[in-house]
Amino acid sequence: MIAVLALIAGVVAGVLLEPTVPLALQPYLPIAVVAALDAVFGGIRAKLDGVFDDKQFVVSFVSNVLVAGFIVFLGDQLGVGGQLSTGVVVVLGVRIFGNVAAIRRRLFRA
Amino acid sequence: MSAREGDDLPERGTSEQQSKVPPDFLVELFTNALDPGYAEAASRRTGRPQKAAWVALTARVVSLFLVGLLLAVAYREAVAAEPERSEAHAGLIDEVRAAQARTDELQRRSEHLRQQVGALRRAALGGESEELRRIRDEEAATGLAAVTGSGIVVTLTDAPAQIDPTTGRPSVADVSRVLDVDLQGIVNGLWASGAEAIAIDGQRLATTSTIRAAGSAVLVDFRPVASPYEVSAIGPGDLGDRFVGSAAAATARGLVERYGLGFAVRGESGLRLPAAAARSLRHAHPAQPVQPSQPAQPTSPTTGPPR
Repeated sequence: MIAVLALIAGVVAGVLLEPTVPLALQPYLPIAVVAALDAVFGGIRAKLDGVFDDKQFVVSFVSNVLVAGFIVFLGDQLGVGGQLSTGVVVVLGVRIFGNVAAIRRRLFRA
Repeated sequence: MSAREGDDLPERGTSEQQSKVPPDFLVELFTNALDPGYAEAASRRTGRPQKAAWVALTARVVSLFLVGLLLAVAYREAVAAEPERSEAHAGLIDEVRAAQARTDELQRRSEHLRQQVGALRRAALGGESEELRRIRDEEAATGLAAVTGSGIVVTLTDAPAQIDPTTGRPSVADVSRVLDVDLQGIVNGLWASGAEAIAIDGQRLATTSTIRAAGSAVLVDFRPVASPYEVSAIGPGDLGDRFVGSAAAATARGLVERYGLGFAVRGESGLRLPAAAARSLRHAHPAQPVQPSQPAQPTSPTTGPPR
């Protein structure tokens, strides 16, 4: 419950405070969002499975975002930024789908 | 699928075996989406009691707050980037329109000035002299003066858009459009049939005019023209008959049969074709400086070629 409230508070703060992202970081924003979504859905699934762990969640969130951003940054430097971000999105997308499917099975037994 | 559900987490024994023989990465990715760290943390926790619950809770709340912030910021950035892109596009369109309007305005002024020059010349040369008639004929022939007379109008239109049976959307294949070569053929046929002045969609053709394609647009003297293409030609009385019997008209009729283009020829009296855009002479230089006081052309880099 408190987690949902924190998420909503974050969205509200983002809308109201209108923080500006430095121009250099803007290309990594979409990738960071996908990485964060992966961590969130992983956390929700772990919660439903009864194995949720705060440390694991925080570390997976931070490292997901940082690693995804770093891979894309590295790709940009090597001139294959587009392909590498596609790879990151595919891998994280598969994980998100897998976790959402597990959540769905838990909730709806289907 | 439901059989797989069981071996995700509770059977930790199998995952221990798997860690000895590393599984194929892709297989692992597709079958085991959950971070194995959760399972490990759960197994560690069973032994020891929970420590410092409030620290963990704060970390969870802070990171979820950050996730929410990230979502909102990314959404705002994406929304903010969209109008920027379309604004740039709209800005370019405005620039093109403004430049076209400026060209039109300058062209009008040029025509106006040319009429003044003509009037002054008539006054200077006096009445209907032989010189004046010759100048007028040559101006008409080179497209430097507007001309009126009777002639024919050839209309070429793109084929009607075909509905694609698979997508249900209109699709116009390139071959069913009027191409620059089609217009070139018509114009050449008209010249060959004895036309004295030709204009496409009101764009008078002079001796150095071009009919080109840029993408799917047809440009006449770098100005776009669009379907229906009206090629007006002024010429002798038998121009229409001669053109209809020409090879160019036969080719156009072939296009009508094969690709469904529209092609029509009609006679018209009282056609008025405007003057072509003024051309500067780029290749002709006076052999001697016109005025002796001026330095010779090659030694003065500041003066351009005579316009």
